Amino acid sequence: MSTQPRSPLDLPTSPRKSQPQQGTRGDTRLYLVIGAVLLLCVCAGLIFLALQFFDGDNPLQPEAEATTIAAPSNATLTIAVSPAMAPTFEMLVAQFNAQKLQTPDGQPMVVQTVALEPDKMVAQSLGAPAFQAIAPDSSLWLTQLEQRWAAQQGAVEEAGSLIPIGDRRIDAPLRYAISPIVIVAWESVARDLGWPLEPVGWEQVQRKATRDPDFKWSHPSTNNASGLLATLAEFYAGAGLTRGLTEDAATAQTTLDYVRAVEATVRFYGEGEAVIMQRLAAEGRDFLDAFVAQEQVVIAWNQLGRGERLVALYPAEGTLWADHPLALLELGANGETPVTPNQRNTYRAFGAYIIGAEAQQQLLLAGYRPTDLSLDLNAPGSPFAAVDTAGNESPVDWRQPQTTLQMPPASVIEVVQNVWWFTKRPTNVFLVVDTSGSMAEGDKLPSTQAALIAFLIQMQGDRDRVGLIEFGSGVKRVEGLRRLDADGRSEMTDIINSMTARGNTALLDAIWEAYGYLLREDDREAINAIVVMTDGQENASNLSLRELQKRLAQQSGATETGTPVVIFTIGFGDDLDDAMLEDIARVGGGQYRRASETDIQELYRIISTYF
Amino acid sequence: MNRTRWIFVGILVVALLIVGIALLVRALNSEEPGTQTGEVAPITVARPASLTVRVLTSLPVEPWVRSAAESYNATQPQQDGIPVRVEVVAMDGLTALGRWDRNEFGALEAGVRREDLSAEQLAELSDFPTVWIPESRYLVELANAAYKERLGQDVFLTDGEYRARPIATSLFTWGIYETRARVLQTKFGEISWQTIHDAAVAKGGWPELGGDPAWGYFKLVVPNPNKNVGGLHAMIAAAGEYFGRTEITVEDITNPQFQQWLKELMGSVTDFSSASAYTAEDFALFGYSVGDGGQLLESDLLQNMQGILTRWEDPLNLYYPRYVTWFDFPYSIWVGSETTAFEKNAALAFQRYLLGDEQQQVALVYGLRPANPRVPMDANAESLFVKWQARGVEPVVPRADAMRNPDREVLLSLLRWFELNVAD
Repeated sequence: MSTQPRSPLDLPTSPRKSQPQQGTRGDTRLYLVIGAVLLLCVCAGLIFLALQFFDGDNPLQPEAEATTIAAPSNATLTIAVSPAMAPTFEMLVAQFNAQKLQTPDGQPMVVQTVALEPDKMVAQSLGAPAFQAIAPDSSLWLTQLEQRWAAQQGAVEEAGSLIPIGDRRIDAPLRYAISPIVIVAWESVARDLGWPLEPVGWEQVQRKATRDPDFKWSHPSTNNASGLLATLAEFYAGAGLTRGLTEDAATAQTTLDYVRAVEATVRFYGEGEAVIMQRLAAEGRDFLDAFVAQEQVVIAWNQLGRGERLVALYPAEGTLWADHPLALLELGANGETPVTPNQRNTYRAFGAYIIGAEAQQQLLLAGYRPTDLSLDLNAPGSPFAAVDTAGNESPVDWRQPQTTLQMPPASVIEVVQNVWWFTKRPTNVFLVVDTSGSMAEGDKLPSTQAALIAFLIQMQGDRDRVGLIEFGSGVKRVEGLRRLDADGRSEMTDIINSMTARGNTALLDAIWEAYGYLLREDDREAINAIVVMTDGQENASNLSLRELQKRLAQQSGATETGTPVVIFTIGFGDDLDDAMLEDIARVGGGQYRRASETDIQELYRIISTYF
Repeated sequence: MNRTRWIFVGILVVALLIVGIALLVRALNSEEPGTQTGEVAPITVARPASLTVRVLTSLPVEPWVRSAAESYNATQPQQDGIPVRVEVVAMDGLTALGRWDRNEFGALEAGVRREDLSAEQLAELSDFPTVWIPESRYLVELANAAYKERLGQDVFLTDGEYRARPIATSLFTWGIYETRARVLQTKFGEISWQTIHDAAVAKGGWPELGGDPAWGYFKLVVPNPNKNVGGLHAMIAAAGEYFGRTEITVEDITNPQFQQWLKELMGSVTDFSSASAYTAEDFALFGYSVGDGGQLLESDLLQNMQGILTRWEDPLNLYYPRYVTWFDFPYSIWVGSETTAFEKNAALAFQRYLLGDEQQQVALVYGLRPANPRVPMDANAESLFVKWQARGVEPVVPRADAMRNPDREVLLSLLRWFELNVAD
């Protein structure tokens, strides 16, 4: 270690500021440089982070695929369901909604229903329906829908260019319940026909109906499965076939003559199982002797335990099934609102629910055959068990039907539906219309006129006749029965459009006027009916209700000698005597229904299905 | 201000300049044409947060594939560190083929690259199938043919790592209610298409054949070819027996005698309108009331055998035909740029899972014959091939002639014939 030598001239040692001062200046520079470099690093880091952030490659967050964030779509699904199934279906829908399920993006899954006749379901599904899924009573409606859709789209693909599969209006349907179409008879009637010892078929019922004038039977109109299937059975029988029904065979004169003879024995047509259950509840054993319906009706009625049991007769010639499909519509091809992804989610969830164990068990208890094949129909407690809890022989047989009729192609079915109008029992129907002063309120009169004209359009039989009685303070106008050819329709339309509202309400006199007219006509080949519409209370008739009831009862009790006349009554609005109208319908063997300006047209359309 | 401070200020200015220039450059680079017109700029992401393998699955294997997908998803699989989820979409092979043919899944046009797509266009591909498992290999070939015209290349490979591989097999067999089968065997001998034809044309129905009058006429069950590719296979098998060979041509289909014979045969089908794509299930649901017997997929019949026994009085038996048609359920990975390499590799991993011993043994429970030769037919205690031996199921298929797959023209000819002569 070396030391610097000191000179004698050096001053004594004292604190020296310069050395330390020189060292501090150098440190400051060093710190400034380091600080500046650090600042540069921080700036560079901030720039890097900023760029990463704006790039979307934020290193602080995990990488994510580019996604488009869209507003959650509507998850409320509306299903059109056939009226016969509607009560059970709505119960299942309520249970599904009570689960409060949500879509993956948090929307509540909700199912709504609207009861609709299958033929209307098909027609509306071709346009822009207010529903996204359909649940008709039979797959045959789905086939009709697809065929009409293909025709509407004009989707005739160039030969060989495409595989002609997959362009459909509906997604793959699922089935949630089935029920065979049967002839339903009171047990006493069934035994009279040979049940349970002998096979009973369409032939026995049709023979009984043609030979016994007291035998009352009916099948629904062809706008629901059971009516259409009953009609097909008649055409098969008329053509002497059990399969291979063609357009030629269906329109052969011998076939038409047979069907006409059978149809002449039908008391009236109608709306299907939903209304049948209502009428059974109201009329009990006084209802028809036999009618065509789904097997489920037998179970549902017998479960009520009211009086005589109903029995399901499985036609020996074969029958058909109501197979209750559920299908999602593929909307959007023609600009209508497409089904949303969340509605698809709801559909899938509801589909899974309705074929799940809980719903299937409830369908079984309601009298349907569930599509869950693990459920044994003959298990104890099942409504199909061979012996019921009281030890009685079961009125339904899970081993039946043994055979079915062949479902013809859609084109043949369409021919049968069209030809049926020329073979069905002709109808004489009097429209008895209230045009008292109160009908001038609001749109009552115009909506009634529109409903009456719609009624005429629905009446398509070439032998059907319609008359009209307009009443106010008395019978204002009587327009006799006239055939609904082009001229007849035109005349009736003019008459309806010329109606004016004034006066009081002579309801009872008008009904008796129409009734008397039909009695005088004495047309026993036809269904004779009166459709009465009023918006107010009786206040001007000469006839009392008691007297009218007495006269109607006398006439209806003399059906062997007289002409049976069915009376339907419609109460329009709120100021009504419901009890009176109900009573008249009951004595007249028809029905009473209430209507408003919005549904009167639909009501007349429904009533037209009885003729 | 001394020199040191000047230096410090200088460094600060340089730092600010760097920041400013960097932001300026960034701003200039972001002004791409799409942005100026209000469109969303393309976004390319190398590694997604998760992967979805969408498997378009034909109906006969759908229950098994769905159950396998659930098991697979439960293992929390990853592909290159990315979580994977398998989704199964059920669709009949013909329906899917129609959709491929019409490009309804939205495949990209030739020359369009994935990296050139906007966010919206990428979102439209989010439902694009990663994998298609049709019933048969020939459907893959038909789809390839359609895309070759459009894109000039195959979209499902037949060789290499991503080639279509069968994951299970099943064949078409006769399923006939025992009481009815006995009558047919007594009257005609073996169960064959000719036997069924002769029963179908018997004007007097079952009484004429020696059966119960309550059975009505003979009723055949075959799937609706418009809804289920099995319907086409049934007609091909019938043609094979009629002509006595395994390859069918368009000339055969247009042969008037054959058409008459086939029409008589199909005339005994009760209802094509209500028959859904799930024919064997329908068969079980409606029982002998709609069909005395028919040629259906073995796996479907086996899966529904318990239901038939529960729901109907009469058991169903299986009989193996001489001319057989097979489904081989090829697992076909889409090779186009609509799906990413990650997705393709994830699909390949699920394929390996399906072909593994464990899932192949599970396939036996669904009545499917394993594609993995290591797995014997009785490898699973619940194998339907063991359970239903008394009903006639044969673990080893008796000697039979396998029908060759139809080409596109034969397929279209059959479909058109059906439309004109049976469906309407």
